[in-house]
Amino acid sequence: MTNGKDPYVILGVQRSATEEEVKQAYKTLVKKYHPDQYQDNPLRDVASEKMAEVNEAYDEIINAIRNGEASSRFSASANFNSSYVRELIQTGNITEADSILSSVDPARRDAEWYFLKGSVCYKRGWFNEAYENFARASQINPGNAEYAAAFNQLGSQRNGQMNGMPSGYYQNRNADAFNCCCDLICLDSCCECMGGDLIPCC
Amino acid sequence: MFGYIRAYKPYMRVFEYEIYKSVYCGVCKDMGRRLGNLTRFSLTYDSAFLALFEHSVRGTKVCVKNERCIAHPLKKTMCAGCGNDFSYASYVSALLVWHKLKDDMLDGGAVKKLISAAGMLIFRKAYKKANAQYPTLSREISEAMELQRAVEQEKCAGIDQASEPTAMIMRSVFTRIGRNKKERELLARFGYCLGRFVYITDALDDLRSDVKSGSYNPLVIFMKSLGIEWDGSGKLPREVQDFCTASVNMTLGQLADCYVALDPRRFRDILDNIIYLGLKNTFRLVREERFHKRNNSKKGKAEI
Repeated sequence: MTNGKDPYVILGVQRSATEEEVKQAYKTLVKKYHPDQYQDNPLRDVASEKMAEVNEAYDEIINAIRNGEASSRFSASANFNSSYVRELIQTGNITEADSILSSVDPARRDAEWYFLKGSVCYKRGWFNEAYENFARASQINPGNAEYAAAFNQLGSQRNGQMNGMPSGYYQNRNADAFNCCCDLICLDSCCECMGGDLIPCC
Repeated sequence: MFGYIRAYKPYMRVFEYEIYKSVYCGVCKDMGRRLGNLTRFSLTYDSAFLALFEHSVRGTKVCVKNERCIAHPLKKTMCAGCGNDFSYASYVSALLVWHKLKDDMLDGGAVKKLISAAGMLIFRKAYKKANAQYPTLSREISEAMELQRAVEQEKCAGIDQASEPTAMIMRSVFTRIGRNKKERELLARFGYCLGRFVYITDALDDLRSDVKSGSYNPLVIFMKSLGIEWDGSGKLPREVQDFCTASVNMTLGQLADCYVALDPRRFRDILDNIIYLGLKNTFRLVREERFHKRNNSKKGKAEI
C-alpha cells in the first residue's frame, strides 16, 4: 500500500479520471522521477522512493478502475449510491442528483453527502449554501483532500479573491501615510544634498 | 437594470473612459432610433456594459465619431453612433424595463401603480418590437418575474433562492451573446453570477426601506435566523454587512473564473475595470449607503 497516502493525490489526477488520463499522468511522473536521470546525484534515493510510490499508486488506481469502483473507493458513503450521484453531477443532471440527495435520511448524512450537496449547490450557483455544505464536509472529514480543496477554493473567493485580476496595475501602493512620510524625508535629504532644504526642521 | 454595473472612474484611463462613454451614448442613440425617443430615459450603465461585452466577446469593432447629443446639444461629444449595431442592448433594455414596470403594476402601491402605468404606455411600442425580435428571451424573463413574485409571496426564501430569478434573467440575456456551445455555457454562468450580484446588492440597498415598510427581503429572513433586531434606524447591522460581503465576494469570484475562461479580447481594460473594480466599488458604496446621490450629505465630494 502507499503508506496511507491517497493514490489520486500522488498521481495528481481527479477521482473521476479515465484510464487514459491516469496512464498519461503516470507517464509524466515516470519521466520526472526515473532513477536513471539521477545517477551520481544525491537526490537519487528520494527519486527512487518517489518512483516506487508512483508505481504503487498507479497499480492501485488502475485496478480500481478495472474493477469499476474508481470513484467510490476513497470517499464512499454507505448510505446512498455516491458514485451514481457524482456521475449525475458531472453530466449536469443537477435536479436528479439533488432529489436523490434529498431523499437521504437527515440522520444518516455523512461528509460525502455534504460534499455532494455542496457540489449540487455550487453548480446551481447557490454559493452560500454550497459554502456551508463544503465547510460541513471538511469539518466531518478533515483528512479528505477533495473536500478541503472545494472548501478552500470557495473560501478564498469568499475573502475577495478574484481570478485574473491584473496584478499591480490597480494597486496604489504609495497612498498610505507612512510611505508619504518616507518619501518626504527622502526628498528632504535629496534637497539637502544639493544645498537646498525642503523640511527646515530636519 | 439598476445601474449597478458600472466602471470605477478614478482608475480608468482617459481614452478608455471616452470609449466607455461613447458606447453608452451609442446605445442611447440606438434606442432612440429604434424604439422611440422617450425610451432613452430608461438607459442605465448596465446596458452600456452589455453592449460593450457583446462586442468584446464577438470581437466586433466599434467606430466612434464626434456627434451631438440631446443631453448636451451645444457640445459635440464622442459617440459610437450609426455605424454600430447596439440593437441587442436596446432590445434587452426595453424588455427588462417593461417587465419591471409590469411587476410594479401587479404588486406595487397606488403611486407606483400609476407611475408604472404611465411608463407602460410609453414602452408599449418598444416592448412589442423587442418582443417580436426576441420572443423566447421575453418569455424567459416573464417566467422569471413570475418566479420572483412567488418567492416574494412565500416570504421565507434565503438569499440563494431569492436571487435565482434575477440571476436567471441575466443568464438568459448573456447566453445569447455566445457564438458556440462552449461560449454559451460560460456566458450562462457569467450571467447567472452577474444577476446574483445585482440581486444581493439590490437587496442590501433596499433593506432599510423594506424593514421600515415590512416588505419581503431575504436579508430580513437572514436577520431573523440570527435573532438580530433592527428597526431600520442607525447603521446597517454588522452581521448583515459581513454576510452580504461574503456572498458578493463568492459570486464575483465565480464570475471572474468565467470571465477568465471566456477571455474576451476587445475592450479588455475597460471590462477589467468594470469587473474587478467597478462591481466591488458599487457594492462598497451600497454597503456604506453612499450609492445614491440622496445619501451623500457632503456636497462637492466626488464619488462615482
